[in-house]
Parts: sequence; structure tokens; C-alpha cells
Amino acid sequence: MNTTIIPSKNQRSEIIPEKKKKSQLVSIWKRLRKNKLAVAGLVILTFIILSAAFANALFDYNTVVIQQNAADRLQPPSAKHWLGTDELGRDILARIVHGARVSIPIAFTTILIATIVGGLIGAISGYGSKRVDNIIMRIMDIFLAIPGILLSIAIVAALGPSLRNLLIAISIANIPPFARIVRASVLSIRNEEFIEAARAIGANDLRIIFKHIIPNSMAPVIVQATLCIAGSILEIAALSFIGLGIQPPAPEWGAMLSGGRQYIRYAWWICAFPGIAIMLTILSLNLLGDGLRDALDPKLKN
Amino acid sequence: MSDNILEVKNLIKHFKSKNGTLHAVDDVSFSIKRGQTLGLVGESGCGKSTIGRLILGLHQATSGEILFNGQDICKMNKKQIHDLRKDLQIIFQDPFASLNPRMSIGEIIGEPLLIYKKVKRAELDSEVRRLMDVVGLSKRFINSYPHELDGGRRQRVGIARALSLNPQFIVCDEPVSSLDVSIQAQVLNLLKDLQAEYGLTYLFITHDLSVVKYFSDKIAVMYLGQLVEIAESDELFKKTVHPYTQALLSAIPAPNIRQKMQRVKLIGELTSPIDPEPGCRFAKRCLYSQAQCVGQDLEFKDFGNSHFCSCCRADELLNTTISQ
Amino acid sequence: MNRSKLLEIKDLTVEYRTDDEIVYAVNSLNLSLHSGESLGLVGETGAGKSTTALSILQLVADPPGKITSGEILFEGDDLLKAKRDFLRHIRGNKISMIFQDPMTSLNPVYSVGDQIAEVIYLHEKCSKAEAQQKAADMLEMVGIPKDRYDEFPHQFSGGMKQRVVIAMSIACSPKLILADEPTTALDVTIQAQVLELMNDLKVKLNTSLLLITHDLGVVAQVCDRVAIMYAGEIVETGTVEEVFEHPKHPYTIGLFRSIPTLDEKVDRLKPITGQMPDPTNLPSGCKFHPRCPHMNEVCTKMKPAMTNVAGTHIVKCLIHEGKLDPTEIMEEVNYVR
Repeated sequence: MNTTIIPSKNQRSEIIPEKKKKSQLVSIWKRLRKNKLAVAGLVILTFIILSAAFANALFDYNTVVIQQNAADRLQPPSAKHWLGTDELGRDILARIVHGARVSIPIAFTTILIATIVGGLIGAISGYGSKRVDNIIMRIMDIFLAIPGILLSIAIVAALGPSLRNLLIAISIANIPPFARIVRASVLSIRNEEFIEAARAIGANDLRIIFKHIIPNSMAPVIVQATLCIAGSILEIAALSFIGLGIQPPAPEWGAMLSGGRQYIRYAWWICAFPGIAIMLTILSLNLLGDGLRDALDPKLKN
Repeated sequence: MSDNILEVKNLIKHFKSKNGTLHAVDDVSFSIKRGQTLGLVGESGCGKSTIGRLILGLHQATSGEILFNGQDICKMNKKQIHDLRKDLQIIFQDPFASLNPRMSIGEIIGEPLLIYKKVKRAELDSEVRRLMDVVGLSKRFINSYPHELDGGRRQRVGIARALSLNPQFIVCDEPVSSLDVSIQAQVLNLLKDLQAEYGLTYLFITHDLSVVKYFSDKIAVMYLGQLVEIAESDELFKKTVHPYTQALLSAIPAPNIRQKMQRVKLIGELTSPIDPEPGCRFAKRCLYSQAQCVGQDLEFKDFGNSHFCSCCRADELLNTTISQ
Repeated sequence: MNRSKLLEIKDLTVEYRTDDEIVYAVNSLNLSLHSGESLGLVGETGAGKSTTALSILQLVADPPGKITSGEILFEGDDLLKAKRDFLRHIRGNKISMIFQDPMTSLNPVYSVGDQIAEVIYLHEKCSKAEAQQKAADMLEMVGIPKDRYDEFPHQFSGGMKQRVVIAMSIACSPKLILADEPTTALDVTIQAQVLELMNDLKVKLNTSLLLITHDLGVVAQVCDRVAIMYAGEIVETGTVEEVFEHPKHPYTIGLFRSIPTLDEKVDRLKPITGQMPDPTNLPSGCKFHPRCPHMNEVCTKMKPAMTNVAGTHIVKCLIHEGKLDPTEIMEEVNYVR
């Protein structure tokens, strides 16, 4: 009989080496890379962050950024001052680069605070009893009824303008949207069968929340965070613009806009370039956020 | 009666809904002997899955008793239920939904071991590998994620997770109904082998009578929250008493051209389980229903060989259908 | 058989292309259907059954789907080369489709009657009133009383919805109905009622039916002919008598052995070993060889051809081509159910 036994596929497949533990980040990155606009956003953002990080090497803070120089005031863009100078003769490019050192860390910190606090509130609200949920969400509704910027203005006005109060104000204003998003995704995940499965193998509530619910509700939170950083930068600029944020002479994009607005007729560059800096940062964050939304969507997985 | 690992007595579970009270499980009683399999059969919405979850303590019963090794699950506190889960496990229907998509196969199978500290951290990996071996899952999947596996393999993961605590009793909630035919048979064989090896007792919940016939020692048929017939497997197929069980049997399309489908022995569609009227709930769809079927509460009648049926016309019907 | 061929699929190949990989969904598939005949297309998840049906109506999502070769002749016209207007004329009118999930294939904001009337109004030159009248008749025909015309899909149960979908599919008296797992989402007793309805309608309307299912039992009750699909290919086809009484392909035999039946009590099922092959990386030679109990070295290298074994019974297996030393295997594969 020539029925030679050839190893079945199963046995053969044992030879295939065990898959390396590959984090899901790799596959998310693969999908993000396909989105050209998101990559563009990421490149711009990286550029801005890098220039902010090395700002001191590029421009000296004391001699270039805050040092007033009456002779050079209101110079249009030139080889010496690429983006011109402001009404006190300071180089605008230098101030923009150093301004990023203010806006970006504050924006990231506020959103980090808002994500953690809002996420926790949302998770409790979504996972807890109906009563707890009702109480928390009605409080959030009250906050949501007030425009974020107005809330920030009120908080800063009450506490007085300072860096710490600015942080607090913007963080608080951003908590309710995060609470809502986390709650919504927790509500949909807590009814999934794998949560019931976790309960059946004796997992307690803490474990279910941290091991099962939170990892699965991260995607919308990350997207929201990216988009909110953009909003936060805008809020810092807006507060500084009306004098409640960063105080002069520290460079801040909103404050620069505010300071230059009376010269806009004959020195357009004072307002234009800080404005473009704000716009580019926000645009890059929004593009990245949109790309992340697609890349993190599990439905698009294969 | 000490060889009954599980006894369910007059179990009732009602859900409050906007339109009234949903009678998910109504006065159900049965028992399962150690090492045996009870097949719980019924159509969607008949309450069979609810019973499974009540037994696991995932839902709180409205009233009734569930005695597991003589202890009433319904009266247990959180701590006791936590301890109980070591002996009482469940395999879910949908291997796509019941595995956390963000955890690797190794983490999923090892999670119960971690929670109950059954093994030391250092031994966790080897124990997980042993379990994967037991359920016939190639070890190279230990770091894969559920979405990288097909349905049959995922269900093996679910089985490995249920086995990890070395339970005495497993509730199988439609474990094969979402799998392909050829894979279904593999998983059924696996469950059977595991039962023989570890002396497991199964509550096998399904809508498929042909699967329970292959699998069960005893079969209970449910309709709209109530048990309508219960008997030893062979006995039930030899002498089908309740008209609903007959209808279920006649409705299965046999993969055999010589055996054309019989006329389906029922009319209409499933009625609502919300605030049902007293009497036989199947009466509205039953071809044999008469005035006596509605209004009065039903009793389980003994037809010998521990064969029970709730149909009030069973005696007459049995004579006519058998003579046919 | 001198009935005309209503539908003929020749050498159909469909692929799904993503950036990283190509899924070979349907591979050189040949299939034909006579008018008035019902054919059951049986296979497991990923065998390419649904893709085949979608290709007939040109509904394969592109991208990622791509029909790379083949012809689909419907009444002599190649649908793959047809213009969009012509396809629109065919869809719903000459060929209609029933989808698996009745819950999602009806539009929740229109009444069921109006949804059926719309199909009729679109394809038949008639007034709105006539279309509505005919829609009401259709509802009656599938066993739904006329006075439920104005009700909305959410007021119907699953089985009733599938009846509405069937009414919609037969509204324009199509030549061909493609039914993709029409009863899989339903309970057994409801499934039996729907199958009974389909059998009645088949006799009444004399339409052809391409029934896609994974359930051999459903095929036995409804179909005249059957085609077994595996990994994008048809591995065995013939009349239901031929295939169900004398299955020849090891895969078909394996399928029958995997099903627990009510007639006999067996101690152990005999499943097919292994899993469905990865459609991005199909095995060489015979695609079933990694799971086949009779596999030989030849099977890994040589692609089997369609071999006629008896009557209209065609099998794609090297054993039946005489490429393997058969005596012992023949005994096994020639077993009669």
C-alpha cells in the first residue's frame, strides 16, 4: 500500500516558532502610517515639540526673548529677524519657539489631569449603580452647560492669574467631556460577554475595571485627548489674550497676539506668525487625532 | 439523593421591565447526578441561559433554591460565591465576545489561576501551557490575541479558562452553536473526553436537539420559562410526550433525503414572556390545545422511568400519537 | 436534461486585497443552475459561498474585493461585463437576494408593506396603488395577513421579518433567488416554518433558487442539487440523491460524519481534523490535503480536476481520478449512508 503517512498540518505547525509577544501598538502604528494626513500632523507636531525642547540652544531666553531693544522695534521679516520683531524689538521667531515651551507642556499637563480625573469619574459613573451614575452625570451636565472658556475665565478670575491657577482652570473645564466619553464606552463594554466571563472566574470589581474595562475603552479617550490638547492650547492662548493667562514678559502665543493687535495695521507680522503657530499646532493635533480614531477602531481590524 | 451534585428547586427569576414582569424562569426544578450531563433545550428567550447564569450566581434568583453539593447558592454571600466559582464554571456561547480582545491567550487562560492564587507566578506559564495542551491548542498561540484565532480555537481558549480552576461542574451555554460543523464535532468530542478524564458534570444548554441527543444523559425541554418535559435521553426520544417536544423534533431538518421533513406540529410564533397568563404557555401554538389547557396551573405528571411532562392532555395524546 | 441553463458561472476568481495580504476567496469556481431548479451551496465559514452570491449581483465591495477573472452568464448575458443600468434592472427584478439577518435587511423607518410596494413600483411599470395592492397580495402569499401592511419592522418577530424579506424578494417574480443563509438566524421551529414556505413557493412560482447554507439538513429538505464548497472551490456537486446517498469527496464524507443525528446514537463523532485553511495562504495541490485522512504525497503537488463519477455527480479528488492506489480508500469513500 502506498498510503505513506505525511505529517498533518497540525503537527507541522508545531514547528512554527511561538509568536513573539507583540504589543498592539505595532499594529496601530502600521494602520496610522497609512493615513498620509495623520503622518503629516505627526511630523509637524514632532517638529514643534523638538524646537520647543531645544529652544534654549536656538535662542537665549534672557538676551533674545525678553530683552527689549528699542532700535530694532517693529522690523519686518528679514535675514536677521526671519519673522520680524515686535513693538519692543524682540525677535518674533525666538518668542514663538519659546512660547511653545509654555503652551505645549501646559496643554499636555491639563489634558493628562483631565483624562485621569474625568476617566475615573466616568468609569465610576458607568460601572456604578444607577443612582451614583445619575448624581455624577447631572453634576457633569451642569459643568457642560457652561462654555469651557467661560468656566476657565471664571476660575482664573476668582483665584487670580498664575500658572498654577491656569492649569487648574483648564483642567477642570476639560473634565466633563472626558467623563462622558469614558462613561459611554464603559456602559457599552460592561454588557459585553467577556465581562460576565471575568465575573464567572471570580474577578472582583477593581480587577474588572482596571484589567478588562479600561484597556478596552482607551481608544476613544486617546482620540479625545489628542483633540482636547488642541482645544487646551487655544484656551491658554485665549486666556493669555485677555490677560488672565501667562503674564508678560514671558512669551506666550495668545499674549503675543494680544500685544501685537494695536500694531496690526502697519506691522502685520506681529500677529500673523503667532497666529499661524497656534493654527499649525492645532491642525497637526487634529489631523493626528482623526488618524488615531481610524487606527484605533477595532472594527477596521482586518 | 447525595449523588446529585446540583439540585434546582422551584427556581423563579423575574425581570422587571417597562411593560410588565418578564417571567424568564418560572418554577423550574431539576437535578443532575455527579458525572452526568443534563441537556437543557429550548428556543431563544425560553430562559435556558438565565438558568445557567443563576446557577453561577451571576444573577440573583427571585425565589427558589439551587443546591450545589447540598449548599444553597441563592443564599450565599459574595465571599462564598467567590469560593464556589472554583468548583463551578461556565463556557460561553460566543467565543468572539467572551474573550477580552486586549488580552493575550496566555493571560486569558492564566487569569483565574492568578485570581485564586492556585499556582505560584513562576509556575503560571507552565500551567497555562499544560491547559493549552489539555484542550488541544497549539502552544505557539500563547502570545496571540483572540482576533488572530478562528472560532474553534477561541472556544478551546474558553474551555481552557473554565478548566483552569479544576471545577466539578461546568455550565456549557451553547458552546458549539456558533461554530462550523466540522469544528463543532471536534469541540463536542473534546468536551466529552474532558468529562471522562476529570469526572466533570455538565449542564449543557442548547437549542439543538440532535446535539443533546449525542451529548446528554438526561434532557430537559423548556418553553417560555417553564420546564415542559424532562426524561432520560433515550427515553425522551423513544417516547416523546409533550407536543412542544414533538414539534421541536419534527422541525429539525434531517441531513437525509429519504427522511423528508414532517409537517411542523405547531402554529404561530413565540409569544411574549411578559406577564403570561396562567395555564399552559404553549397552548396558543399547540395543535392539540383545548379549553382545559388555559387558566389552570399545570402539574408535572410522571410517565414512568423518571419521565415527567407538564402537558395536561399528555395521556390522551400519548395514546393517539403512538398509535399513529 | 434539456432545460436551459439560467445561470452559468465559469472560472470565477474573486480576491480581497488589503495592503498586507491577498485573501483568495473564490478560486476558479464553476457552477450552473437550470431554470426552476434549486441548488444548495454548502460550505463552512470562509469557504467563499457568500462572495460567490455577491459576485453574481456585482455587490462585492470594491475595494477590497476584486473579481479577477471569469464569466457569470445569466440568460446568456455576462453580468461581469454588464453596464450599471442593466445590472440595476436585473437586481431585485430578475435576480433577488435574501440576506441572513432579517433584523438588518429591512429599513426601520418604512412600513413593511411600503417596502415591498417600492420594489414593485421600481421595476414594474404600474401605478403606486397597483404596487400597494400587489404588495398586500405578496404579504398574504407568505402567510402574513393584509392588515399588517402598515406595521413597521420592529413590530414583527424574526420569523415574520424573514417572511417579509421573502415577500419582497418574490414581488417581481424573479427568475432567480439568491438566499444567503436565510434561516440561520431563526429558531428551529420558525426555521422549519420558513423552509416549508420556501418549498411551497418554489412549487407555486417555479423560480430557481441558489440556497447558501452551512446546514446539510436544510439542503436535503429544499434543494434538487447540491454543490459542496471548500476553500473557494467546489469539491463535489450532483443531485441531492447522488451526494447525500453516495458522498465521494473525503470532505463531504467528513461533513456528514461530523453531524450528530437524531436517528442513531453514536458514542463519538468523527470530526474532520484541523482547521479551515488560511485563505491568504492556501495549501498547494488539493486544498483539502492537510485535513484529508487519505492524503498522499501526490495530493500536495497535484491539483485535482473535476471528475465525473456517475450521472451528474462530479468530484474534485485525486482518488477518483485514479491517481492514488485506491482499493482500501475506495472502500472508505464509497460508503453508502
